[in-house]
Amino acid sequence: MNTIRKNLNILRAVAVVTYKEWSAYRTHSMVSIWVGPIYFIVQYFIWSAAYGGKTQINGMDLAQIITYFGASTLIGYLTMDFADWNLQMLVRTGKFLTFALRPIHHRFFAFSQKVGHRVLGLIFEFIPCYIIFTVLFRVSLVPKYIGWTILSVMLAFLMNFYIHYILGMTAFWFTQSSGIRRVFDLLSGVFSGIFIPLVFFPQTLQKILFFLPFPYMSYVPVMVFTGDFALAGIRMDIPVIVGIQGLAVCITILLSEVIYRASMRRFNGVGA
Amino acid sequence: MSNKNKGKEVIKIRSHKRFRIKRYLTVYRECVKVAFASASTYRLNFLLNCTIMLLGDIIFPLITVLIYGSGAGFKGWTVYEVLLIQSIFTMSTAIADMTFHGVMWVTMDMVRNGNMEMVLILPIDTMFILMARTFSFEGIGLFIGGLTIFMVALFNISAPSILMWLQFIALFIIGVLVMLGIALIMAAISFKWIGNSRIPEIFGSIRSFGKYPQSIFPKSVVFATSILIPVAMIAYYPAAALLGRCNWEVFVVILPCFLFLLFGIYLYRYMIRLYQGVGG
Repeated sequence: MNTIRKNLNILRAVAVVTYKEWSAYRTHSMVSIWVGPIYFIVQYFIWSAAYGGKTQINGMDLAQIITYFGASTLIGYLTMDFADWNLQMLVRTGKFLTFALRPIHHRFFAFSQKVGHRVLGLIFEFIPCYIIFTVLFRVSLVPKYIGWTILSVMLAFLMNFYIHYILGMTAFWFTQSSGIRRVFDLLSGVFSGIFIPLVFFPQTLQKILFFLPFPYMSYVPVMVFTGDFALAGIRMDIPVIVGIQGLAVCITILLSEVIYRASMRRFNGVGA
Repeated sequence: MSNKNKGKEVIKIRSHKRFRIKRYLTVYRECVKVAFASASTYRLNFLLNCTIMLLGDIIFPLITVLIYGSGAGFKGWTVYEVLLIQSIFTMSTAIADMTFHGVMWVTMDMVRNGNMEMVLILPIDTMFILMARTFSFEGIGLFIGGLTIFMVALFNISAPSILMWLQFIALFIIGVLVMLGIALIMAAISFKWIGNSRIPEIFGSIRSFGKYPQSIFPKSVVFATSILIPVAMIAYYPAAALLGRCNWEVFVVILPCFLFLLFGIYLYRYMIRLYQGVGG
């Protein structure tokens, strides 16, 4: 019990410091208040034109797809991650050594940082954009199952963090892993459903995507938000897909631990 | 002053201008050589970045293909016509990336680090030298990707006439100048909004209106994308020229494009004049 309390205190302390640090650059986050709605408007016109007189395309109607892009933008603000960039920078510059000597796991430290950073995202990105989407654009952005949506977003938060942390750990082998990160960002943009719902992809690819981490980072929480999940022609109840998402997160956590141990065996440092 | 002396003065000014242009061309050529040497040295990084840029910018055509593949589409536009617009956008972006997009990043970096005066003291135009120094070959992959999609789209539309091609070339160049205007405005903003690496996202979001047929947007948006920030000129109007959809509107839109570019140049020069440094 004491360990949990101690860890919660550490998490809160690191999160608050990160929040204060990034608050100094809050206009950086506030750019989203312009960028998010503009991209949303573009998507709105594209899909309104694409639907024409059609009521449904690939099982989604126009209202659902508009909600999809609105929810996708908002959930992206809550789950966004750059742990990979941070970790790679620490490894490349040798600063990771100072973390290796601290009585706190670096991954936990990075996670606490992310919590603080995303609280900032909640205040300066999520809430203003939510107001713009609902009040100005009149998009209905109330999740069908609030509890399941919150759980799914939390799992996506973890998924994004652990996947990016694993990517960051490639720096222990390649030192400069920016190329790998860029490739991954590109793939995740396409296959997590940020640009287009995954149901628009060929059936075979959709089936493969079930076994990759990408859908669990954005597509699943967004579809849980809309209250109707389908992929590869398989329609699932919301509790089932959230359960699968939880399983995927557990596997990723285990994978992250295995790679972290291998990284530590490989890591060398001098002159802390 | 006698007519003979006046004539000599004019010849002197002209030869001075010729010398200046020649000097600028030599400087630019040297910068291109340095960029090539740099790309040759870090070959793997160069190839990787080329590939990533290529893959990154073919996402939009991919989305178009997926939309049309699902049986939907934009009324009055075939998939190849939309791909034509997007391939022109990609080629224009590639040219901008190679020639002048670097000016935004380098200005932002120098203003933040406080070493802008290192460039200001050079006996050459600041805007020019920053563009020359940031010349990059990495956009070449993107250009080839765009050109490939352009060719595919071109083979699937009716063959354009010579007049259409001439219109396309002229409008494409004007579209690139609009991109230059955007890059300079972004660079100018970075003098005041120091170190904000998200400035390009703001203009990237506006530019995204230029990737699609303008007929899908309401008239107010088309007015904004054609007159206020003429991003429609980057790809839509050049594509319209090739498709024979050009009308008098296009000629009305040309003037705002030049005004937009002039505004970008003026704003950048104005911000340079406002810049204060203490020794770099």
